[in-house]
Amino acid sequence: MDYFQRFREIGAQPDTYAENWKKKNGAKVVGNLCSYTPIELIAAAGALPYRILSSGAQISRADGYLQSYCCGLARGVLEDALAGRLAFLDGAVFPHTCDTIQRLSDIWRMNVGGFHADIILPVKLDTESAAEYMLAVLRKFKADLEAGLGVTITDAALRDAIQICNRGRRGLERLYALRRSHPAAIAGSDLHAVLRAALVMERGELAEALEQLADHLEARVEAQAPPVSKAKRLVLSGGLCSMPDIYPVVEASGARVVWDDFCTGGRYFEGLVDESGDPLAAIAQRYRQRVVCPAKHAGIHNRGQYLLDKVKAYQADGVIFLLLKFCDPHGFDYPYMKAMLDMENIPSMLFEIEDQISSEGQLRTRCEAFLEML
Amino acid sequence: MITAGIDVGSISAKAVLFENNNVMASQVILTGYNSQNAGRQVFDRVLKQAGLEAGQVAKIVATGYGRNSIAFAHKAVTEITCHAAGAFFLDRRTRTIIDIGGQDSKAIALDDSGKVKDFAMNDKCAAGTGRFLEVMARALEVDLDAFGAMSLTADHAAAISSLCTVFAESEVISLIARGEQRANIIAGIHASVASRVVSMAKRVGVRAPIMMTGGVSKNIGVVKALEEKLSANLMVSDRAQVTGALGAAIIAAGL
Amino acid sequence: MAPPEKIVDPDKERRKIKSDKRMREIMAAYYIEAKTPKEQRGKKIAWITSGGPVEPLHVMDVIPIYPENYGAMIGASKMGVDLCEKAEELGYARDLCSYARADIASATVNGGPIGGLPEPDMLVCCNNICGTVLKWYEVQARYYNVPLFILDTPITHTTFDDAMRRYVTRQSEEYIHFLERVCGRPFDYDRMAQVGALSIRAQELWQAILDTTINRPSPMTCFDAFFHLAMIVTLRGTQTCVDYYESLLAEMKDRVAQGIGMLPVEKYRLVWDNLPIWYRLRWLSNKFMERSACLVADTYTSGWVSWMPPENTTDFLGFMGESYSRIFLNSGTDLMAENIIKMVKKYDADGVVFHSNRSCKPYSFGQYDIQKIVRKKLGIPTLMIEADMVDERSFSESQIETRIDAFIEMLKK
Repeated sequence: MDYFQRFREIGAQPDTYAENWKKKNGAKVVGNLCSYTPIELIAAAGALPYRILSSGAQISRADGYLQSYCCGLARGVLEDALAGRLAFLDGAVFPHTCDTIQRLSDIWRMNVGGFHADIILPVKLDTESAAEYMLAVLRKFKADLEAGLGVTITDAALRDAIQICNRGRRGLERLYALRRSHPAAIAGSDLHAVLRAALVMERGELAEALEQLADHLEARVEAQAPPVSKAKRLVLSGGLCSMPDIYPVVEASGARVVWDDFCTGGRYFEGLVDESGDPLAAIAQRYRQRVVCPAKHAGIHNRGQYLLDKVKAYQADGVIFLLLKFCDPHGFDYPYMKAMLDMENIPSMLFEIEDQISSEGQLRTRCEAFLEML
Repeated sequence: MITAGIDVGSISAKAVLFENNNVMASQVILTGYNSQNAGRQVFDRVLKQAGLEAGQVAKIVATGYGRNSIAFAHKAVTEITCHAAGAFFLDRRTRTIIDIGGQDSKAIALDDSGKVKDFAMNDKCAAGTGRFLEVMARALEVDLDAFGAMSLTADHAAAISSLCTVFAESEVISLIARGEQRANIIAGIHASVASRVVSMAKRVGVRAPIMMTGGVSKNIGVVKALEEKLSANLMVSDRAQVTGALGAAIIAAGL
Repeated sequence: MAPPEKIVDPDKERRKIKSDKRMREIMAAYYIEAKTPKEQRGKKIAWITSGGPVEPLHVMDVIPIYPENYGAMIGASKMGVDLCEKAEELGYARDLCSYARADIASATVNGGPIGGLPEPDMLVCCNNICGTVLKWYEVQARYYNVPLFILDTPITHTTFDDAMRRYVTRQSEEYIHFLERVCGRPFDYDRMAQVGALSIRAQELWQAILDTTINRPSPMTCFDAFFHLAMIVTLRGTQTCVDYYESLLAEMKDRVAQGIGMLPVEKYRLVWDNLPIWYRLRWLSNKFMERSACLVADTYTSGWVSWMPPENTTDFLGFMGESYSRIFLNSGTDLMAENIIKMVKKYDADGVVFHSNRSCKPYSFGQYDIQKIVRKKLGIPTLMIEADMVDERSFSESQIETRIDAFIEMLKK
């Protein structure tokens, strides 16, 4: 049985998945664009938390709302919304992320229908007053969800949601752990397909599917006892990875990805929510402690140090920075993170992604050249 | 042992035959639509030039944009690594390479053993490449080959500040309308290219001596503009256009 | 199309604003004091964002320095391109804010028109204007290795609620403790009351000055406002600022009384939106003047008059957080559109000029919607100019000139 097949199908047509889920459950779908979205609350409200990525379709409408110096994520999802490709969403919620998303939220609220909520989380994550404020924001979001979706979110439902979301996170961590210990056991593009589907799948279904997949792969590795891989080990760093092409290119050049700190990858599942104590406080806690997104502040060396620690812990030979063009927060962090790697003689390469432009040839050249360097 | 390097770029394809640390022959043709055919063609031509048969070539390495389509090559290696090998062979003192081709430009930093330490590429944007010069030559109604010599007669470089080739073209047209001398405008165009390329080069760190490769190195005006921006002299080999293919042939010798 | 008819202006000298000279003297003295070597200077230096709470710094006798103001100076001196290129060499993408790129580069080479800014003893960053300043100040915190304070002001998409109020009030207290720690002495709350009152008075005066352009002919244009802005940004809370603006206001009132307009011919009145194009102010000013169009108001300079509580403005620290949170730029696009519509009506404008500024996403994204709203609600023509505030490489002269001409033709009745 191909345990990846279901994930690939969902990842290829996430909108179809959501539409079918809606029909089957008679429930609501809530879109979001950020890994700081408190999906536990959305799940506890009986809705499907749906992480929106651009479909990659040709831009025609969005240029009338957003200038050319806007990142492909914001432009692409707005295009999809205006074209009606996101009609299955009952609403969208916008955690405060960056300047672009902040304005996208306004433009969306003014031009796209459906339930809309701003989750104006603090930018600072390292002070007590920010922690207090964050909790207040989560309480407000809970109330907004209840009002917007016409439901009541009980404490029990929230605790259940936390548990099921944690199960999913553990499942993803198992797959990542397997990939770094036995890089050949799981192809990069397969794991990417899993993550892509994980962004939209119903939490229970996701947890089950991940556990099955992980059980199967771990058992296979144990049975086959493959030799230690000689492939060069790479860490990827960036925001979104909506380009699966990177994996076959890397692997064809004789290397393997052993970790990534993507918003749609490592950052998405790292860290569990404490299942004891007050649920909202526990959710807030996870967001404060998880490796910081560059649009947030928790000290001035955190991301660089985290990357360095991971590179060393996972014995990586190099880092590829995949940065989305026009993404300011990631752009500002790149020089110092590269400098920290340079200090330790860890080779790195930068590749700028433009969401709408297919650049496989260019990526391949750079990747190969980088690997020829290692 | 005779080896061959084939560099199939998007505009031109180059081939070099190499034996005992010597370049036996080299050829340059236009790539056209079919990189596989271009690779075959330029290889045949360089064989003919040296009076050899394909069977006499022990190893072949392909590089450039079309490297993966050259079925008869033993290995495909990127043009970054090949330019490094080629430039280092031409002059072992080389520590930085600036390559400006028809459609892209690159900067490569070498370590003391000639290995690639870091690199940066511009293959997204016409500004800072040969294409930029072509567009401007059309706007000025001047033969591109005359650019170099004409720019040397300029009394100053007219300021052309736009990042975008299309806007820069309209700046050039405005300058013509204002009666600015062509030589000065061309000097300004060269300064603009130099600005873009040096900016990119400094990201990888520029260490002298610096070698320039790629077709645009035939333009003395661009060379001078780069030297001014870098405050350093550039080494330009007469093999500048085939450095990639040369490097590929050298790498083939090590296979 | 043929260039506009040349306007001969016999009153050219009379139109010049006499206070300009005094403004230059004050700003020069301010920078000279700041650049005095530390041992002689005595006072500490804080780098602070343009929307940051400067009043407590004046209470502590800390000299506030504004890298953004320096960015404007860099732009005006046409030094932006070189510094931006230098930042790109350091690895900063070309698409990042040009103020930030120019400043980050300037710090490494002591660049810009005054040979670099004096080194900070502390950094104060308020993100009410954008998220970029957070990243910019993190870069400088690493570079200078000095303490960084962040005032995190949640955005008012539609409402400013009690949780936000509490958060920014608690941060105001944290700010005071930060200053006490870094300066090594207790905060003088009595002095705060005085500085607070001076700040409020300066804002009132600034607003009054901006309001003189309600008159026809307008005694000044937004290009003059861009110049005189520096004082309220950097010296807000000082007696100097109040004194200067009192004299500038007197001059403006005098000009109004005498009917002295900034333009020899004022046919069209316009509102400007977004930051200025610092390296082309004279060019832009001339282009509009030649076409008898007067930029009577703008959303940028009016941004330094912040929200005040309806009564009891004596507890400055108590409402400071909310004041800094509820600025024009830190609110939803539809609120910004309302603000522009109010401005058009107040100053009796015939059209709006939007600067789509590559460097400022929070100010520029949403402009298309605002443009539509203005056209729909007011039925007046609008112009969109695409450029950058400091990086001249993103400015295309003939394209912009064409657009201005086409816009003026739309305004012709």
